[in-house]
Amino acid sequence: MDIKTIEYKNIDEVMYTYEHKSGLKCFVVPKKGYSKKFATFATHYGSINSEFIVPGENEITRVPDGIAHFLEHKLFEQKDGSVMDKFSQLGSNPNAYTSFAQTAYLFSCTDKFDENFKLLLDYVQNPYITEESVEKEKDIIGQEIRMYDDNANWRVFFNLLGAFYEKNPVRIDIAGTIESIGKINKDILYKCYNTFYHPSNMIVVVVGDVDASKVFEQINQSITVSSAKPEIERIFPDESDNINKSYVEQELAVSMPLFQMGYKDTGFCSKGIECLMRETTVKILLEMIMGRSSKLYNELYNEGLINSSFEFDYSIEENYAYSAFGGESKDPIKVKERLLEEITSLQQHGLNRETFERIRRAHKGRNVKQLNSVERIAHNFVSVYFKGANMFDYMETYDKITFEYANKVFNEHFTADKLAMSVIKPA
Amino acid sequence: MTNITLSGNQVLEIASFSGIKVYQIKTDKFKTNSVNIFFHDNLCRENASKNALLPAVLRRGSVNYPTIQDISLKLEELYGAAFDCGITKKGENQIIQFYLDFISDKYAKAEEDLTKKAFDLLFEIITRPITQKGVFKKEYLEQEAKNLKELIESRVNDKVQYGVDKCLEVMCEDEPFGIFDYGNIEDIGSINESNLYEHYKYFLETLPIYVFISGDIKEEKVGYIIDKLKQIKRGDIKKIQEVSIENHVSEVKEVTEQMNVNQAKLSIGFRTNTRPNSENYYKLMLYNSILGGGIHSKLFQNVREKNGMAYYVFSRLEKFKGLMVISGGIEISNKDKAYEVIVKQLEDMKNGNISDYEFESSVKSIETGIKSLKDSQLQVVDFNLSQIIAGTKDSPDDIIDKVKGLTREDVMDVAKNIEMDTVYFLTSK
Repeated sequence: MDIKTIEYKNIDEVMYTYEHKSGLKCFVVPKKGYSKKFATFATHYGSINSEFIVPGENEITRVPDGIAHFLEHKLFEQKDGSVMDKFSQLGSNPNAYTSFAQTAYLFSCTDKFDENFKLLLDYVQNPYITEESVEKEKDIIGQEIRMYDDNANWRVFFNLLGAFYEKNPVRIDIAGTIESIGKINKDILYKCYNTFYHPSNMIVVVVGDVDASKVFEQINQSITVSSAKPEIERIFPDESDNINKSYVEQELAVSMPLFQMGYKDTGFCSKGIECLMRETTVKILLEMIMGRSSKLYNELYNEGLINSSFEFDYSIEENYAYSAFGGESKDPIKVKERLLEEITSLQQHGLNRETFERIRRAHKGRNVKQLNSVERIAHNFVSVYFKGANMFDYMETYDKITFEYANKVFNEHFTADKLAMSVIKPA
Repeated sequence: MTNITLSGNQVLEIASFSGIKVYQIKTDKFKTNSVNIFFHDNLCRENASKNALLPAVLRRGSVNYPTIQDISLKLEELYGAAFDCGITKKGENQIIQFYLDFISDKYAKAEEDLTKKAFDLLFEIITRPITQKGVFKKEYLEQEAKNLKELIESRVNDKVQYGVDKCLEVMCEDEPFGIFDYGNIEDIGSINESNLYEHYKYFLETLPIYVFISGDIKEEKVGYIIDKLKQIKRGDIKKIQEVSIENHVSEVKEVTEQMNVNQAKLSIGFRTNTRPNSENYYKLMLYNSILGGGIHSKLFQNVREKNGMAYYVFSRLEKFKGLMVISGGIEISNKDKAYEVIVKQLEDMKNGNISDYEFESSVKSIETGIKSLKDSQLQVVDFNLSQIIAGTKDSPDDIIDKVKGLTREDVMDVAKNIEMDTVYFLTSK
């Protein structure tokens, strides 16, 4: 077995990698002394893959909204019952999640890692879906959707995506809607599975006090690939660089208004180190402009226009990127005005180099903290991997970013005509 | 220095003076060190809102760092150290927490004295607030009082949590437990910068304090921390009241609340009549796990998987007040059907209709959960704090052993003491 070892001496971490003959990429991050072992088996398929060409066909298949998430639920079903029961018998905690660009199946355990791992590799490779179980799942997911419909934080954020994007499928709720999941059936689910769940489109990440070569050996034994690697043609609609709407509002049972606003990003590189550089730079810029040490945050806080719920973030994937910031406020429009004033002023007068250095250092420190948690490591690993990079690359990324580069990104990203806002008002 | 071992060989009580207990958790497996400081009060109307407002005002500024901006700048300088404070409720105990976590010295440049600087900042925020005319700054008080009101009002935003908390509060409306962690809006209006400052002195001088130092910290730094803590002026230490748990329900309360919601929440509150420091508590833990403690549980398998009525449904213990709550998000029209299925599970528990799978997977689930907490600094601290408040001296392994020794009869035994008290239903208008 050809196992590669990479040491990250300055943060006391090691990574072992191995590529299975099917194309499956495997990674082990050992964490000596930890009780939990965490394994995730993830595919590069998420809610944004609503259009694709099924291998062997010519036409574009357009699938109902929410199907990637539906499929995630269904994979737990096996001929002899739910695989969740088998994990419970082993005393471990299985779970799964669907995001915009990936679906991950995972478990954490403190014991019997080999048995749990085998179970994970087996069930994800062996779907067993019946019409009956599909119908039952519609009720359960229906309740999941209803739960999120009442979640103001979720809604204010998704409404912002709707304001940014007219066609890009990132604007679609990951679970879909009650109507859209009504159209899902066994055949479409199998189509999605067969297109995207080939090992060459997937990765395995194991984090914990494990023996890497044993883990890779187990993968060797468990991966059964009978089909050739499919050519996956992912279709994304043409999305204009412009925002869809500048403002969107909804009423829900909340005590005071919530808002999220941000900039739709364009002209960005969404792969590799360059992608990480843009991501870390925008995050540093956001903190410089509106972080807790900024003049703006403190003024807005003192005036009672924002409170400690105010946060900011930046997301980047293969076909979209945006910044989003907000929280609770009695006057979201006023906050927006002040934010724009500050950004304009900074663009005129220039950013402060010292501030940049200081915040970059703080980010580096916080990045190291993430390595405390096996789940965090695995989760970040998967998401960064599908962007063509490695989560341990962040360390070198921070050092690569210059003040000049930050200025360039500042002027590119924070442009007035790319700004959109979403507000949830009390009903 | 006392050396009472609290849990195996991992946590040590290293000092105890003037109602302040200091614990050290020695570990080098994390990349961070942390200091957690807890103040312990009885949960009562008189103090609840004041105790909630106090950390909010303290974090606004100290003598050397008089604004949030100054504190934030300092934290950034300390390699992105994180500071926060907040309130939790453990039974009828109100716990006020301050913490700071920061990367280990080895990840900061060699000349930085990170641990000492981090602790100094935390200590200063707590003990040397910025004042004006000898009391808190009026401006800070007013702003945080407003924020606190809004925080309490915003409870309705999280329908899942609200559905659980409201059930328990209604159930215990005539008891201290019925008070929300952050107190009541009505009590905030009478708080001003002077009386809160008076309360602050009482807070700092008399409330029991627990300090947890976690990570890979040199002995001399630990000594430094203890010496600084000894500087806090202390008086007669407040006695924490024992909570009343025994309660026999004569009639089940039924409460419905209406709000603009898409999904209803059904919550049922119970009196377990089980004290956290009794032998029955371990039986109750197992009971709860079988009933609704995860995907293996009766509630999950029957309400969600078999009947498709919920996406989430669980049972949870409020250990310190001896309560249990079942909660699930359901279709509005399914209330009666869901209630029926839940009641059937409760009956099965009483009758010992528990399969081998249900029993064994619950024991294993508890074991895995407890073993897992060792991987989180915060969870280890919380585990030990809970032991202190419950008056027990179990290590994580002790609990696992006790649960493993239980039988179906034990579960049926503790089921006899559990009484349904309140049914709460949050539905649409």
